[in-house]
Amino acid sequence: MAVPVSTDATPVRTVSARHFVRLKLRVMGNNFRGQGWRIALFIGGALLGLWFAVSGFFLFALPGLTGEGQYAVLVAAAGGGLLVLGWLLLPLVFFGVDETLDPARFALLPLTRRTLVTGLFAAALVSVPVLAVLIASFGLVLTAWSLGGWSAGLVAVVGVIAGLLLCVAASRALTSAFATMLRSRRVRDLAAVLLAVTAALLGPLQVFGLAALREADWTRLTGVATVIGWTPFGAPWTAGIDVAQGRVWAAPVKLLITVVALGALLAWWSRSLESAMVGAASAGKAPVQRGVTGGAVAQLFPRIAGWARRDRFGALVAREARYWWRDARRRANLITIAVVGIFVPVMINLGGAGFVAGDGPDSTTSAANSSPVLVTISMLFVGVVAAVTLANQFGFDGSAYAVNVVAGVPGRVELGARMTAFSLYVLPMLAFVAVVLSIVLGRPGWIGLTIGGLVATYGAGLAVNSLVSVLGAYSLPETSNPFAMNSGAGVAKGLLTLLAMLASAVAAVPMVVAAALLGDAWLWLALPVGAAYGLGAALLGAYLAGDVLDRRQPELLATVTPRR
Amino acid sequence: MTVEHPALALRGLAKRFDGTIAVAGVDLDVPAGSFYGLLGPNGAGKTTTLSMAVGLLRPDAGSARVLGQDVWQDPVAAKRLLGVMPDGVRLFDRLTGAELLAYNGLLRGMDPAVVDQRAAELLDVLALGDAGRTLVVDYSAGMKKKIGLACALLHGPRVLVLDEPFEAVDPVSAALIRDILTRYAAGGGTVVFSSHVMEVVERLCSHVAILASGTIKRVGTIGEVRGDRSLEQVFVEVVGGRTATGEELSWLSR
Repeated sequence: MAVPVSTDATPVRTVSARHFVRLKLRVMGNNFRGQGWRIALFIGGALLGLWFAVSGFFLFALPGLTGEGQYAVLVAAAGGGLLVLGWLLLPLVFFGVDETLDPARFALLPLTRRTLVTGLFAAALVSVPVLAVLIASFGLVLTAWSLGGWSAGLVAVVGVIAGLLLCVAASRALTSAFATMLRSRRVRDLAAVLLAVTAALLGPLQVFGLAALREADWTRLTGVATVIGWTPFGAPWTAGIDVAQGRVWAAPVKLLITVVALGALLAWWSRSLESAMVGAASAGKAPVQRGVTGGAVAQLFPRIAGWARRDRFGALVAREARYWWRDARRRANLITIAVVGIFVPVMINLGGAGFVAGDGPDSTTSAANSSPVLVTISMLFVGVVAAVTLANQFGFDGSAYAVNVVAGVPGRVELGARMTAFSLYVLPMLAFVAVVLSIVLGRPGWIGLTIGGLVATYGAGLAVNSLVSVLGAYSLPETSNPFAMNSGAGVAKGLLTLLAMLASAVAAVPMVVAAALLGDAWLWLALPVGAAYGLGAALLGAYLAGDVLDRRQPELLATVTPRR
Repeated sequence: MTVEHPALALRGLAKRFDGTIAVAGVDLDVPAGSFYGLLGPNGAGKTTTLSMAVGLLRPDAGSARVLGQDVWQDPVAAKRLLGVMPDGVRLFDRLTGAELLAYNGLLRGMDPAVVDQRAAELLDVLALGDAGRTLVVDYSAGMKKKIGLACALLHGPRVLVLDEPFEAVDPVSAALIRDILTRYAAGGGTVVFSSHVMEVVERLCSHVAILASGTIKRVGTIGEVRGDRSLEQVFVEVVGGRTATGEELSWLSR
């Protein structure tokens, strides 16, 4: 029998962005309940954000405070552009996006896409980084006001807020799009290639940019800044300055550019949001492949781990090796290492050296200006970034870690196997970076130096991060977005990551000291000493952290199990 | 062994989460060779109790022994005797079924040849061989339960602890799981499982315990607990709570 569907007489109350913001605040608040250390970490992160905010504020306000109006456009366009770029890239590379409100949770609610996007967007604005950037960018308002009075200041306020909205929208749209790409099995390789190409392009661009900076005088830089000011990267930030400097007609045009860009980004986000809401279901089932060869054990071991013994250690290595490739979240991390590993050393050694030796006779010698110390420091950075991926290695497993607890795997075997499997992917990557860097620098003799520095830092980093992964683990949300962080405590987790990186870097400082003190002898010693240092540190780390792990396996399992 | 140890002996197990008591002192003896059903409503503490019994969750108080081996003092010896399927079937689900079995077997220190042979048999019997290279994450709920059971059985444990093995399983798979468990118990193994499906418990179990609000309310052989009534009647009486609606919800039948 057909049931009459009555369209209810009582009007449905409309859902507005306010509800989403309140929901986010409530979730954040509940997340802190009874977790003293989380509150402490959050406050620490907030203070750090405040510090950045205040220093940013004074940087932006500098032209206004000193009355040097000619630099105002430069500061606004370059600083603002960097802000937008940072919002775009940092979530992809380091911190992930805060998915306190997971779009998938709203899939069943009768909400229009417009309501959902505006709501999630409003909720995304409620965060410490947004507040920090808001404070910092009000330096621009001060500059505009002091140079051009209240009307310029008012336009600057509008511009700065529009710019902030642009930052958040850009980061959401980009991570959401990448998440969609990485989630789908078919195009995941395409996404990897795309990221790699972006990385490959960033290096040369950086070098080019810094070389141009060295050549150019300030007036030419201001010219570049003016051009940037007409792109979405600089438009919102420079609108107020334009009014102050008499170009009143420019302000509405620039605000229009911003609004159009904002609209386009939100539209893009709303499209990829759809697939995020349907979630893993849209990934499509992998075709059932028959014709399996070999027994179960032979199937478990991928080619990369084929050498391993068919025992407990070997099984752990094989499973981890498979997971680094099959788990979208882990794969995203591997890609990040490749990206950072390639472009940061090139940037530091070519660009940095050129920048430091700014008055060198000609640009062809810029490569020669790099020093063993600088090379070792850049390698240190790469090694630290590579190793910090393991800082929450048990969080990747989630509740599946119960299998290892039930089987009673000894901590040292567990950590040693995890290090080994990760290194199967990362060490070739690091070796590649080291060789490429030596060749790009025109110093093939430095290959030992680069590899030695990398391996030493990486090994020390493995040791530090093993301990961090046992003591500071946290659960990752069970969404298919590899960039998602768990509810609210994103600041705290970023802080933990920074701490782990700092500790790893400190552990590798002896390599830099040796590079500085030992001179040419170090070029030969770096490889054997670095390799021994790295291996020794990793073994010691597995030994010590393994002991800790043995004592707190159930506690670790409880912390990495997502709360439902 | 001269002294006959119970397959599972729990003494005063207790656990509280953030101020709420999940399990308030559970004592339980599971005789070796028995088929033991742990009954209880949602949130009664079944999963918490079983997790503490197998070494997944550290109890605030009390002890758990598997065939005389203390799970928390000597975990390695106790875990060797245990086969466990945790709640929600926590597995490394980005492996295929065969890979997952191989992983579990090697993790338990088994010989690779034996792992290969048993994995092939288990996949065949549980009708999972057709899945081929499909990852476990893409399995249906019933298939996940079956592969979880296979992982728990692979190393030939003396005691099998299963959390909700019949939840979300279709009748065909359920019959298959029942058959495997019956054969395992007939061969001298001990099965402990939690459930709130009365029919299954009545059909399979030699012993039952009813858990509610973190304590054991009834325990014994199924005959002792049930008496001359049905198990469901006993269960509802013990657990209490409402089984019919009254005047409210009138808008449902508008």
